[in-house]
This record gives sequence, C-alpha cells and structure tokens, in this order.
Amino acid sequence: MMQLRRSASLQPGVVILLVLFFCVYAGYRSGDFWSALNWQLLAQPLAEAGLVSLGMMFVIATGGIDLSVGSIVGVAAVTAGIAAHHKFSVPTIEAAALAAGALCGAFNGLLIGVLRLSSILVTLGSMILFSGIALALSDGNSFAGFPDGLLWWNDATLLGIPVEFLLFLATAAVAAVLLRYSLWGHYAIAIGSNRVAARYSGYPVALTLFGVYTLQGLLCGMTGILLVARLASARADMGQGLMLMAIAAVVLGGAPIEGGSASVLATVAGVAAFYIVQDGLLLLDVPPFVQHALTSVLLLVAVAVGIILRGNREDRR
Amino acid sequence: MSSNSGASARLRLNFHRHETKLAFLLFVLGTALAAAAPRFFSSVNLALLARSMGVLLIISVGMLNVILAGGIDVSAGSILAVVSVVLVRLGNHGLPASIVLPLGLLTGAGLGAVNAALIAELRIPPIVATLGTAGLFRGLLLEWTQGEWESSIPSWLNAVGIPRWGGLDISVLAAALVMLAAAWILHRTQIGRALFRFGDSPLAAARTGISVRQPIYFAYISLGLLTAIGAVFYAAQLGAVQGNAANGYELTVIAAVVLGGADILGGRGSLLGTFLGVLLLCSLQQALVLLHVATFWQNIATGAIVLIGVILSSAPRLHRKFTLQQSPSA
Repeated sequence: MMQLRRSASLQPGVVILLVLFFCVYAGYRSGDFWSALNWQLLAQPLAEAGLVSLGMMFVIATGGIDLSVGSIVGVAAVTAGIAAHHKFSVPTIEAAALAAGALCGAFNGLLIGVLRLSSILVTLGSMILFSGIALALSDGNSFAGFPDGLLWWNDATLLGIPVEFLLFLATAAVAAVLLRYSLWGHYAIAIGSNRVAARYSGYPVALTLFGVYTLQGLLCGMTGILLVARLASARADMGQGLMLMAIAAVVLGGAPIEGGSASVLATVAGVAAFYIVQDGLLLLDVPPFVQHALTSVLLLVAVAVGIILRGNREDRR
Repeated sequence: MSSNSGASARLRLNFHRHETKLAFLLFVLGTALAAAAPRFFSSVNLALLARSMGVLLIISVGMLNVILAGGIDVSAGSILAVVSVVLVRLGNHGLPASIVLPLGLLTGAGLGAVNAALIAELRIPPIVATLGTAGLFRGLLLEWTQGEWESSIPSWLNAVGIPRWGGLDISVLAAALVMLAAAWILHRTQIGRALFRFGDSPLAAARTGISVRQPIYFAYISLGLLTAIGAVFYAAQLGAVQGNAANGYELTVIAAVVLGGADILGGRGSLLGTFLGVLLLCSLQQALVLLHVATFWQNIATGAIVLIGVILSSAPRLHRKFTLQQSPSA
C-alpha cells in the first residue's frame, strides 16, 4: 500500500514541474498569459472537466472505467433544458438535472456492482444508450431561454474567482475527505487493489461500486448544469470529449488505470495541466489542431515517465 | 470457426455457447422483421446490408485480435480517418493506385506499430496509450487537412465502391477473404495460438516460451493493417473524406466484437461470434432505417442490444467461476 502511494505521488510532481516550465515560457512569449482575464476564462471549462475527473478518479480507483460520462452530461443538460422550458424554478431545474445524472450513474452501478459485469462493456453500451435518450428527450433540438438564476453560475465571481471554480474546489475538498477519511473511500481503494480479497474481507463490494458510479453520475449532472449556464443553451451532445479528457486527467495525475490508488490533488493537477497547456498553446498561436496533438503527447510522455519511475521501484523490490 | 471447436462441441447444440445465444437473438430479430418489414428480406436490401457490413467486419477482425491479446484500441477510428485521407489526397494528386494503395496499407500498419511499441516497450496500458495516439493521429491529420473536405475521389477508388455482382461490391469479397485468412491464422499458425495463450495469461504464456512482445505487435499491427484495408472501402463507399471522418467509429467496432462474445480481459473470443455481432448490429440499424425510426431510437436500440450482449456473454463466466471448468484455450 505504501509502495503504491509513494510511487503514485511521483508523477504529479513531474507533471507540475513540466507545467511550471511551460507557464514560465508561455508568460515570457505572450503578455496575455498571466492576465487575470485569461485565468478567469481558463478556470470555467477547467471546473467542468474537473468535476467529471473527480468522479472518474473514484471509478478508476476501483479498477473500473466509465465511458458514458459524456452522454450522462448530455442527459442532465437536456433535462435541465426541458425543466426550464416548462418554467420550473431554478432549484427544481438543478435538482432535475442532478437526479437525471444520478439515475444514469445508478443504472451503470447496478449492472457493474450488483450484476458484476465489466465496467468498460457496460458503460460502452450505456454511452450509446444514454446519448440516444438525450437525443430522444431533446428531439435533436437545443434549448435556450434559461432563467437568470441558473446563468448566475457563469456570471458570478467571488474576489475575482468564478463561482464555478470555487464549486469545483469545494467538491474536490469533499472528495478528498471521502477518499481519505471515509470507510467508503477505503472500500473503493481496496476493491481496486484486489477485488477478490475485498470480497473475502466482507467489504460491501456491490454497494460501494453502486455508490461510486452513482456519484460519477451526480458529478456529471453538476457538470451539465455548469455547461448549460456557461453556454446558455442545452444540447444532447454537450458532453462530447469530456470522457477522454477525464480519463486522461486522472491518468496524467499518476493514478494507475488498473486501480487501487487515487489522489484528489494529483487529479486536480492532471486536469489543470491539460487546460493550462491548451490555453498557453492557444496564446502562443500554435495551430488549434497541433494543440490537440500536443496535449495527447503530454499524456503519453507523462504516463511513460511515471511508468518508468514506477517500474524501477518494482524491479528493486 | 469458433475457438473451442472440439468435435463433440460441434456436434451437439450447446445453449451455453455465446454464439448460440446470438443466433437466437438474430432469429428473434429476423422473425419480428419478417412480420414488421418484409422488405428487409428483399434481395436489394440484403445486398445493401452485406455492403454496410464489409468495412465494420474487416476492422472488427483486427479488433478481435487486439481484444484476444488482452488489449484494446480506441485509436482505430483515427487510423481509419488518416488512411482514408492519405489514399484520397495522394490519389487526387495523380499518383497511380499501384503506389497509393501500398502506401495506405503501410500507413495503417505503421500507426498500429506505434501503438504496439508504446504498449510493448514503454509498458503503457493499452487504453491509455491508444487514447493518447487517437488524439495525436487525429490532431496531426486535422492540421494536415486544415479541416477541409476532399470532396472528390480518384476514379480507380470510385470503381472499388461501385456495386456489381447483384448489388455486392468488392468490400464483401474482401471481408470474406479477411475472415478466411483470420480463421487460418488464429487456429492454424503459431502466432495465432500464441495470441489466445498470451491473452489468457501473459505470465503463463511467457513461462511456456511465448514472447511477451510478439503477440502485442502482431495484434496492433494487424488491426492497423485491417483498418487500412477497411479505409479503402470506407473512402470508396462514401466518395468524400475529411479529417473528422470516422470519429467514434472505434466504439462501434469494439461494441460489435464485444457483442460477439469476446472477453475484454483477453484469451476468449471467436470469429463466428464477431461475425454474428457485426451482423446483429448492422441488421438492427438497417431495420430501423427501413422502419423509418428516428436516429436517436437507433442509438437507444444499439445501446440496449450491446448491454444485452454483455449480460449474455458474462453469464457463462460467472457460472465458470464457481465450477472452475476452464478449457485451456477457448
């Protein structure tokens, strides 16, 4: 256990160092990089992807994976759109979106935790299923005309920091407490380390997994609300690309994809690294498609370095 | 051509075999279709169905190799797009087919080799490695095309996509040849058997003298090559390509293979199952189009059928877990 934790803490260090070097370079080349506006604009999409990544962190910690997050975000956004269309109050809209997300997550959790099906297969199927449901609910249209109370999530700032980002930080703090101090967090890590041992130890494997995927769904619901608020519209395909980003962020933070290890700080570092580098490349006038390629290279390099560092330790053991 | 093709297993109808369950699902779907849309069984429609299956089946055979080896490849859609753009762009520049086709196949195999090297040499987990290369290949491709469409294709490529032989085109013939070749390689050659053994347990395979690297290289390069072959027919059938082509196609391919009963943990799966999986997915989509069902219902039906396939395929695994009757290779 100690071994895992120590080796996992190396990679976020590498990532943070790389990103800091990059920041210095980007700040030197572009005057806008260190401006407050840049960081405000950067913080909002970061918060959205960050929430999904936190859920993905728990999922990957249990040795699973969730491919359906993008579709769940779409379902939640469309649900919010329908609720707004029927002139419901802001808390009702938010509750409906959260409930829709949690329901989708619970569906995954039921199949993966209780029926013991493989997470990658279940969520591959439910990804297609949920995107179909989101499209059917919205009839392929996009919703607009959201009340100001909902758009508050995009407009409001506290001490110059967007509330979206503060919400993300607060959620990350709760996730850290859950992971480190709750029995549930302990179970999740134990299942990822060795599921059979966890079962023989009498841990509630099915219930824990059900909780993990439901939480992931709930966080996707939150992301859906924030996306709707920022773009002032809701569409079924809104969450596209979030799945790959979330998996990449967790892995970039140094969590082994096989599970059994997780760190909130590393996950936050991973997702922040992605968005900071992408934003910096944009300011450096790197062509947009090359940015995409370079962030992928960042993922591969960081993971390869992490594995080489970890590999050396395992060889020594 | 299933993996556990013992003589006794072949003789009696085994209801625990995944292929049997799939055939049953297909039978139910077919009966329902015969009642709801008899046009489905018209020769024109069946030929269309066969044409729509060709590309998916060819790439699915490659994905089966990768999944048998215990891996996964989410960069197949990107490779498909890269190769189709390479084929069409070079062809439009006036290069002859005899140069463009080998170059396209080489590109596919090369990109597959990049995946294999990351997984075998750097030991990056397959899903992470191919996630990275998917973004890398796609990003470089989009930078190359600058998001522009190649709206015309060279005449020799156009000729490939033209229906002949009663509505069938060359992709159907190619898919049949690929199936035959794969059946021979998977069951009659050393590397094919090594793929099953390696996927079942890399450690045990290494102890019996099977190279750790060889099956990985074989699986990912074969997927790259088959994706490139698929790209030829993909571009020929569409008649136009762009950098964003085939986005998410890899998930359809994985869904087909998984629906076909391949174990995502490796070592288990069959060509027959993969064929039935592709047939089920394609006929379902074709049927929904015939019944004038809106696109999103197609997604819902596809997702549901994949989930049903997953539940069906894991039933024997749960059963085996308790009885501990594991056949050595199947």
